[in-house]
Amino acid sequence: MSAPVIVLVEDDPALRTLTARALQENGYSVRQAATAPEMWLAFENGPVDLVLLDIMLPGTSGIDLCREVRRKSDVPIIFVSAKGSEQDRVLGLELGADDYLGKPFSTRELIARIRAVLRRGGLERMAGGDRETQAHFDGWTVNFPRREVKSPSGAVVELTGAEFDLLAAFLGQPQRVIARERLVELSRVRLGDSSDRSVDVLVSRLRRKISAAGHQPPIGTVRGIGYIFRAEVTRS
Amino acid sequence: MPRHPLGLLGRILLILLLTVAIEFGASTFLYERASRYSIEESDAHRLAEHLVIAEKLLSERPVAERSDAARELTTDRYIVRWSPTIPERPAFPPRQKRMEAQVTNWEKGLAASHLQLRLAPSTHGSVVAGEMRLADGSWIVFKTREAVQVWQFAIERTLVALVPALLLLTLGALLIRSTLLPLRKLVRAIGRVGSGDGVTVVEEEGTAEIRGLIHAFNGMQRRIHELIENRTQALAAVGHDLRTPLARLQLRLEDVRDEDSRRAMQDDVSEMDDMIASLLTFLKGEDDPEPAVAVDVAVMAATLVEDATDRGRDARYSGPQHLEWVARPSMLRRALSNLIENALHYGKSVCVTVAREEAELVFRIEDDGPGIPPAQIEEAMRPFVRLDVERGRNTKGLGLGLAIVQQAVALEKGRLTLANAERGGLIAEIRLPG
Repeated sequence: MSAPVIVLVEDDPALRTLTARALQENGYSVRQAATAPEMWLAFENGPVDLVLLDIMLPGTSGIDLCREVRRKSDVPIIFVSAKGSEQDRVLGLELGADDYLGKPFSTRELIARIRAVLRRGGLERMAGGDRETQAHFDGWTVNFPRREVKSPSGAVVELTGAEFDLLAAFLGQPQRVIARERLVELSRVRLGDSSDRSVDVLVSRLRRKISAAGHQPPIGTVRGIGYIFRAEVTRS
Repeated sequence: MPRHPLGLLGRILLILLLTVAIEFGASTFLYERASRYSIEESDAHRLAEHLVIAEKLLSERPVAERSDAARELTTDRYIVRWSPTIPERPAFPPRQKRMEAQVTNWEKGLAASHLQLRLAPSTHGSVVAGEMRLADGSWIVFKTREAVQVWQFAIERTLVALVPALLLLTLGALLIRSTLLPLRKLVRAIGRVGSGDGVTVVEEEGTAEIRGLIHAFNGMQRRIHELIENRTQALAAVGHDLRTPLARLQLRLEDVRDEDSRRAMQDDVSEMDDMIASLLTFLKGEDDPEPAVAVDVAVMAATLVEDATDRGRDARYSGPQHLEWVARPSMLRRALSNLIENALHYGKSVCVTVAREEAELVFRIEDDGPGIPPAQIEEAMRPFVRLDVERGRNTKGLGLGLAIVQQAVALEKGRLTLANAERGGLIAEIRLPG
């Protein structure tokens, strides 16, 4: 399998060089671009697995650029921004970016996010699904682009990144027993330090957060094997 | 409705004119009232008799002797004079019609003599003065020597004189008050400047001077706001721009071979990042608040507590599993996070309580640290203030932690209180209205 190709769009030359080097050291093939036209050129040079996009490029704003890319292709996009505001993050994710990374970031964080996005994209392609944006169970709503969960009464219920990934894994395989090792693997995508025990902790926290009075908790434990997501899941 | 605004001077002159006009009207009315005084019936009887005698005697005398005859008719009680022509009859003091009626009542014949009576001041009270016409068209002028007993004269006059004065005082006060009303509105608006409500434009109304003042104030307020806005934007831009070199530094320091140096540099970069983040949050909270949505605040607080325990800190959550509230989630999360971080900075453990008390939502963050000296509690909430500096401790950050909490709480119209617990430690409490 050849190295995944990443198009890196960043206007600061030094930061671009440093980021490119960090990516190459971790086994990615990098095509660099300083502006929007250069990015389109990079697309023409062969298939691309992921775009790392600075949100505040001169000329075109990263948000517009993201919209344009999304119109032409399904390639995963990770936003990089110095703004770091919640509204920016949500806007970027709603426009079809797959994840958001605030400056400054460490190599470890960058690689973890890229792996997570590539893995998610891979899983979705395997499932043959389109990019579904929402899932529902027991009256709860899960918005994947915004990484947001709403209770049956419509209140936002905060999940950590790892908890959301775990929930996404459950929603991908409802009513099927998922082995603990498999969950570790699925949720390791975040920061890479999940252990068996911390998966149990994560599951219990998630179970508590998406519990509702008068409802059976949707996540059940299968002794000695793993967990099962009991609720029926619909997607839209 | 653009009325031509009167000057303050014009307005006050108008008020004066109005009060004078009313004073005039009131006086006229009261003099009318003043003509209804009466005298003792015995005095009226005696006067009537004397006048009838004087009329009879003078009519009988030839014209040339009448002046002397009149002088003879002067007694120790009445002064009598004769005048061939009609004497001057002043409008003031007014005619005492009731007295005239009293007199003519005793001697009906006097009714046809054009008798007029007045009260005239004298050294020892009021005397009755008047004149009457003889059959041939000449006149008798007379005056009592001794003061007559005028019924309730002094008290009533004082009272009726006080009524218009009080009335005018009240009216004048009300009118001037309404003239100054726009000024008071302006004072209130000035009092609100800088309290974080943005620009409050005061409506231009009132007199020309006050309109000018309000116009100038609105302009000043707008300019100050723009100035602050520009500074804020510049500061925010610097904050953003610093993140790019910081990102370079972050990637570069990963190449540093020496483990200790690298860790120290990583701490420095993280600290700078935290400072920029808190600065941007503080500036952002001022002018770009996020919209309020329904959010599970119990889960939010529990998540922050779990985050602290994951980092190996002693944090506990006490409260319901779910509690939904309408709030601005990222501001509120930041506020709770700052209070929890403060608690863990000064103490070893923190307990976060979420509860609904009456209609209010209460967050209580208790630590086991040293607390804050009561005199410094207010100081602690001001931006860029770090109590540690005074206490000789080294702390990270810009001193915006509690200021950001204040800001977030103010956006929700809530209250933040800091208090020292009896058993030691600080209790920070956020109360949000329902």
